[in-house]
Amino acid sequence: MAVVAAFFLLWEALSVTGIVNARLLPSASETLRTLFDLLQRANVLYALGVTGSEVMLAFVLAVPVAAMIGLLIAENRYVSDVLRPLLFFAFSIPKSIFLPMFILVFGVGFAQKVSFGFFSTIFIVIMSTTAAVESVKVEYLTVARSYGATPMQTAFRVYLPSMLPVLLESLRIAMIFNLTGVLLAEMYASREGIGHMIANWGENFQMKQLLAGVVLISVIAIIFNELVRWIETRCSHWRT
Amino acid sequence: MQPLANITPLTPATNSGSIKISNVGQVFTTSSQTVVALEDVSLEVKPGRFVVLVGPSGCGKSTLLMMMAGLRQQTSGSVLIDGRPITRPDPDRVGVVFQEASLFPWLTAEENVEFPLMLRGTPKTERRAKSQDALKLVGLDGFGKRHPHELSGGMKQRVSIARGLVQNPPVLLMDEPFAALDEQTRMTMGDELLRIWAATEKTVVFVTHSLTEAVYLADEVLVMSARPGRIVDRLQVMLPRPRTYDMLSGDAFSSLRDRIWQHIRKSA
Repeated sequence: MAVVAAFFLLWEALSVTGIVNARLLPSASETLRTLFDLLQRANVLYALGVTGSEVMLAFVLAVPVAAMIGLLIAENRYVSDVLRPLLFFAFSIPKSIFLPMFILVFGVGFAQKVSFGFFSTIFIVIMSTTAAVESVKVEYLTVARSYGATPMQTAFRVYLPSMLPVLLESLRIAMIFNLTGVLLAEMYASREGIGHMIANWGENFQMKQLLAGVVLISVIAIIFNELVRWIETRCSHWRT
Repeated sequence: MQPLANITPLTPATNSGSIKISNVGQVFTTSSQTVVALEDVSLEVKPGRFVVLVGPSGCGKSTLLMMMAGLRQQTSGSVLIDGRPITRPDPDRVGVVFQEASLFPWLTAEENVEFPLMLRGTPKTERRAKSQDALKLVGLDGFGKRHPHELSGGMKQRVSIARGLVQNPPVLLMDEPFAALDEQTRMTMGDELLRIWAATEKTVVFVTHSLTEAVYLADEVLVMSARPGRIVDRLQVMLPRPRTYDMLSGDAFSSLRDRIWQHIRKSA
């Protein structure tokens, strides 16, 4: 909290004292005022709605699909041998390279944003699910087995609680990738959405609006992040 | 002298905890070679005895214990507990205490102890009552609500023992349970274990690397050799009970320990 306050103070100071040109860096107070102003406008709220639904849809599609693939990789040697190198390859290149392909397949619009968000998210979720499964200690499984646990009991009483902290953490990171993906797709080619607006402001050098947009997005991202972190601390107080 | 009729045995006579292992062999086959982990191992443990398995690393003592727990199948021979073969884990006959951190960190101490009961759907109140008894027995009365990370190494192993005992099986198998503890805690836990053993009259099979621990705890020490794993000596420890710290420096104690050491040196 103190860090955030200090950051805004520094920003304000830099701009107001003229160390950095106010045209280049509008002051924090002015940016916030612009932000409140923007939030009153119907087209901004509409854009937020569009982006929000794209992000949510991409997220709820990507997480279960990727978690399933991750489980398969962790549990099946053959799937793992085939998919792992491909995943590593896909994970290490910037996803935006593939944006034109998404436009060719889905056109410019809702489906393209969602699919690109999906595409940006699955790799990190697949990899962290695999890591989560592997984080379950063999000792725990042996204990469960020695006391006669059924496969279902092992899944729900051992695997799930043991994996939960890693899974929740991966959700947080996945959302960052997802949001970035959707915004990138909107900035690249789009007719609506908050990313599109930000790109427009940027192109017209409307720095106040641009920064207000950035602040808005960070606030949304931080709220989601803290929400998951709150669940995380409730579920994994045992992790020290 | 008390009349016999007044003494109620802790476990029914039919379920008394005898172990009979006959000509057990275990062979691992990898793509390049065959490893004989255990060869022609036979042993018998009478109900209520405390038997310790010692031997160099890789002699198959843990493997043998895992067979008694039903967690591993032998390639040949038979493992009988109370006259019936063990082919898979049977918590009614056998409780297992594992090496160091085998408690579930997301459960409290009492929930860990109740885990075996939870698996078989025992009602919550009955579960709680039994876990309280077991925790009291191991000297952890009042620590039930703590999580494992809030307990010391010795306390964690007490919880493990409570978990092994909560279903009141006649046999308790212990796989190097105190290996990760410091020397002092280890001595204390040895005394504690002997107290619990005396109170519950379980048959205990205990695997360890420590020769002192072996002689201190056991009625009988079985010494194993490596590659192939087999039993090379059986020592009856005739030291009186309760065992005390002074015995460690006595002649009887050192001669037993020396005899085990000779075998292990030869084998290593």
